[in-house]
Amino acid sequence: MSRNSTKWLPAIVVPVVIAAGVIAVPLQAGAAVDLPDKTPEQVLLMVSDSTISAFSGTVEKTAELGLPDIDLSAGMSESMSDSMAESAPEGKTEPGAAATGALASVMELFSGSHTARIHVDGSDSDGPAKARVQIQDRMAERNVVSNGTDVWTYDSKTNTASHLTIPADARAIAEAKFAEIVDSAPAGLSTPSQVAERFLSEIDPSTTVSVGTDGTVAGRTAYELVLTPKTTRTLVESVSISVDSETGVPLQVTVRADGQEDPALQVGFTAVDFSTPSADLFDFSPPAGTTVEEVALPVMPEMTEMPADQAKPEIPAEKLPLVTGSGWDAIVEVPAASVPSELNANPLMSELATAVDGGRLFSTALVNVFLADDGRVFAGSVPVEMLQAAAAQ
Amino acid sequence: MSSNSVASSKVSGNGVPSRRRSAGPALLGSELTVLFRRRRTWAMLVAIALIPILLAVAVRLSSETLAPGEGPPFLDRVTQNGLFVAFTAMIVAIPLFLPLTIGVVAGDTIAGEAGQGTLRYLLVAPAGRLRLLLVKYAGVAVFCLAATLTLAVAGTLIGAALFPVGPVTLLSGDVISVPESLLRSGLISLYVTVSLLGFAAIGLFISTLTDVPVGAMAATVVVSVVVQILDVLPQLSWLDPWLFSHYWLGFADLLRQPMDLGSFGDNVLLQLGYIAVFGTLAYGRFSTKDILS
Repeated sequence: MSRNSTKWLPAIVVPVVIAAGVIAVPLQAGAAVDLPDKTPEQVLLMVSDSTISAFSGTVEKTAELGLPDIDLSAGMSESMSDSMAESAPEGKTEPGAAATGALASVMELFSGSHTARIHVDGSDSDGPAKARVQIQDRMAERNVVSNGTDVWTYDSKTNTASHLTIPADARAIAEAKFAEIVDSAPAGLSTPSQVAERFLSEIDPSTTVSVGTDGTVAGRTAYELVLTPKTTRTLVESVSISVDSETGVPLQVTVRADGQEDPALQVGFTAVDFSTPSADLFDFSPPAGTTVEEVALPVMPEMTEMPADQAKPEIPAEKLPLVTGSGWDAIVEVPAASVPSELNANPLMSELATAVDGGRLFSTALVNVFLADDGRVFAGSVPVEMLQAAAAQ
Repeated sequence: MSSNSVASSKVSGNGVPSRRRSAGPALLGSELTVLFRRRRTWAMLVAIALIPILLAVAVRLSSETLAPGEGPPFLDRVTQNGLFVAFTAMIVAIPLFLPLTIGVVAGDTIAGEAGQGTLRYLLVAPAGRLRLLLVKYAGVAVFCLAATLTLAVAGTLIGAALFPVGPVTLLSGDVISVPESLLRSGLISLYVTVSLLGFAAIGLFISTLTDVPVGAMAATVVVSVVVQILDVLPQLSWLDPWLFSHYWLGFADLLRQPMDLGSFGDNVLLQLGYIAVFGTLAYGRFSTKDILS
């Protein structure tokens, strides 16, 4: 009998060992990393002094914003483009298309999780920065390739590509403008460093900045910069930025929402490599059989806008939105005239928005958007009561 | 039946203590001979080969052109490039057909011998139950490889016969040459084979539980179906990375440029975990079992 029980022993030991390994390995990865203490200023300086201009890595984004778990981007873009094709008059198509495109990408940012591989080569200081973003979908992939003079997008699901030529002078202007904003970061991408810089630029007296516990991101030791709003009238609980202890590159950005355990939004590297990526990654020519669409260069003011500008829909420059308040509890008011009509007409939007006093509410863990009955739109990282109060004024 | 008794006699012949060291490879050799001499094995391989053939013929005969993204992935590319037949066939066969055939082979390993009354003859030789178990598992693994290679080779051949063949566009939009595409087809076969090894270990374990081979086969196939249902339930998304079927379609990462081997590493670890757990369970059960038939 004891002979028999020893033969069952491996069947008991192996699962225990595996379970122990499954528990221990992440613990070890997150185990007390002890880096030399730094003040928030020193960490910030590390970021701005970072000399890294070329890297490749895998970026993972997860969003837990309390939205229904459906493929919003596909539904949004398809139904919106359909309704646009039917209803929009000729001249109105361009700004409308820009707005719907922006809305679709905003919606995608808000839902589910995505994995992308990013390759950036800005090591040639005279030449333009080259970049490639590969968004990995199930059995499909979307690519954006920029070699500095040409931008290509390729979608394997539809087998379509689009091409955009960047004129030399436009690039110079854009680069000059961009250089005013940031010195070191690679251009035009939604990398963790871009997202981090967006938040770093907002550091002002409204925010408590501290250095959190040291940790590990993408296998690298990192300082954690924690930004906590001083006001309680915001949905944002904290924003933490993990900064690589060696290179000063921001590796991960986590936005936490009030009263929610999981991060509301997290963008971070799961693997990163600071060597210069192979040059032929940035050579792209559309494969045979692909539908290629030539895209005109968008108007200049849009060039410097951050792609991940979540709270505000893109609007023509003359109908600027009104911003009340500053810092975390700022409210953006968009005049009724510059709200795209598709926003209200879209069936998906009416499905997601709930009726509240004086209008409809589109609510997420981080941002509330209040569509007032008179057509104005109020948005902000604030409780809905504040938006309603602003609308009533 | 007859082939099985041939195997048994071979094994008992090799089981002489002086030749004991060679008993393992010899046992494996005879196991593979038995497996691939069976009409059933060939019938299953032919059925697997029919998947890409039917698919290619259907696309060839149909006059309507598919819009991109319609039907299974890559199906719309098939008319432009025959090499895509193998990829589409792999996607079509993975959820049901490959698990079905592997369930039959894995479920039959021990239960089949027990059901036919040949198991005790196999164990008369001092080969040992552990060695017999390892050999049986190796046989299933070889069948996994044979099945995926059959799919890839049949797909490539029928694709080349019916459609033009040229450089292949990857998911990333980069284009690779025909030889490199064939290389990637081979790598995909290996990837899928590895992905199926954990499932094969479960089949081996289930096969040790019963003397009725059909029961073991059916149970193994049911396991694969249940796990795939669990994999698509959004409420159980936390469970997904632990399911053996989670990376079954992950071979798409080999069709990206540069190849993304991250998921393959996770997949190997996952499958090794399943092999270890169900392999030891099978050993525990088989080594303590009373062999009556």
